[in-house]
Amino acid sequence: MTDDKDVLRDVWFGRIPTCFTLYQDEITEREAEPYYLLLPRISYLTLVTDKVKKHFQKVMRQEDVTEIWFEYEGTPLKWHFPIGLLFDLHASNTALPWNITVHFKNFPEKDLLHCTSKDVIEAHFMACVKEADALKHKSQVINEMQKKDHKQLWMGLQNDKFDQFWAINRKLMEYPPEDSGFRYIPFRIYQVTTERPFIQKLFRPVATNGQLNTLGDLLKEVYPAAITPEDGEKKNQVMVHGIEPMLETPVQWLSEHMSYPDNFLHISIIPQPTD
Amino acid sequence: MSLNLDTEDDFYLEENRFKQCCAEFIKHSQQIGDGWEWKSIKDFPDGYMSKTHFQMKNGNTPSIFKDSTKENDEQTFTHVEEALDDSQASEICATSEVIRYEYHVLYSSSYQVPVLYFRACFLDGRPLTLDEIWEGVHECYRARLLEGPWDTITQQEHPLLGQPFFVLHPCRTNEFMAPVLANSQRENRNINYVTSWLSIVGPVVGLNLPLSYAKLVSEQNTKTD
Repeated sequence: MTDDKDVLRDVWFGRIPTCFTLYQDEITEREAEPYYLLLPRISYLTLVTDKVKKHFQKVMRQEDVTEIWFEYEGTPLKWHFPIGLLFDLHASNTALPWNITVHFKNFPEKDLLHCTSKDVIEAHFMACVKEADALKHKSQVINEMQKKDHKQLWMGLQNDKFDQFWAINRKLMEYPPEDSGFRYIPFRIYQVTTERPFIQKLFRPVATNGQLNTLGDLLKEVYPAAITPEDGEKKNQVMVHGIEPMLETPVQWLSEHMSYPDNFLHISIIPQPTD
Repeated sequence: MSLNLDTEDDFYLEENRFKQCCAEFIKHSQQIGDGWEWKSIKDFPDGYMSKTHFQMKNGNTPSIFKDSTKENDEQTFTHVEEALDDSQASEICATSEVIRYEYHVLYSSSYQVPVLYFRACFLDGRPLTLDEIWEGVHECYRARLLEGPWDTITQQEHPLLGQPFFVLHPCRTNEFMAPVLANSQRENRNINYVTSWLSIVGPVVGLNLPLSYAKLVSEQNTKTD
């Protein structure tokens, strides 16, 4: 029988084969070849694309290069969403590799946050971790940690070091023995079709009768439109890390095993593929 | 109207209470023409308070706007164009000097506190950068804000509109609101959480509350004494 801990590794080491192509209107001194890269699902675009930037800057003049940004089929990609979430949301049912277009001009101010350095990514990541702990433990666990522990979470993510990361993160996954789970589950539900970036609500992992709440219970309460009615046709896929977990799965288990490194469960609702 | 107290004596603001506070706040804003409105989100019970105002880069309000009381955004913009055709053009040194600030008060269910989101742009639509925002923060607040990443101004995605805004991080709100709330409890006086909170965080980013907001609450207290 597979250990539950193996799930943690599977989640951590998930990769998406990606092909980066320079936007055709960028000014180049010679032709730019596409660049292929395996992107870690659990990381962020601007954290893992230094090589992509270097590759394309080689064929461009310094003065034509301003802040890099990425786009998929005309949609600017939000670097502050984890890569796996972006893929599941926009391209999970299309053929691999994932084709991303790279831009160095005309940064879309109204759509994307600026990402001028790794510090910005770290600040964003840590803000998410903090918010998740506010929900799980009223911030008690994260606040009790030393600055060096916070740093270790970030360094573990940045350097792709599973053990280094989980040495600290396991503390964020604990709960008092007298409880059956966290105070509230940190989760966000995403859909491409809405202006609203995500739905996030207070949701307890355990019902008043002591039963563990499931993914289905969560959706019923927070986003009932995502669930297929008894006699109806399945219109949506409810996806986390590229798979559709069974709706009977307890959310407490999902939160402990399938959260992203920011400790949030990022759930995509996408149209059921028709083939 | 008592506050929801946890067993640990934390002074959390529950969501419905937040909406009530906003309703009272906006009612007074309407009475004095302070420009705050409630904006709802389609298909959801969520909403937020919103206000737009204009400032010169040096912190003064352009005088042509001082008379306006109930204008919406479009009217105020036209106002500017008209002024530029007249001799009042000299009043506005350059359109690039006038900054449009937009403030939103949202509720954070994670921290159970209100959060202040804001953005600013010049009249030609160019958004202010984080550095330019910093320039607008008064000296006396800067040192405190630079102390830690959690107290500072960062750019974040607006959770309801999905656009880039600047935010004052909410995780310390409980800390500075606790003494205010404890005091009001001790003195058996009602306060409007949102009013008190906004009067503390607003000035940091150029948003000031007329004193009449406080007088309103104290009037209510006097009536019940």
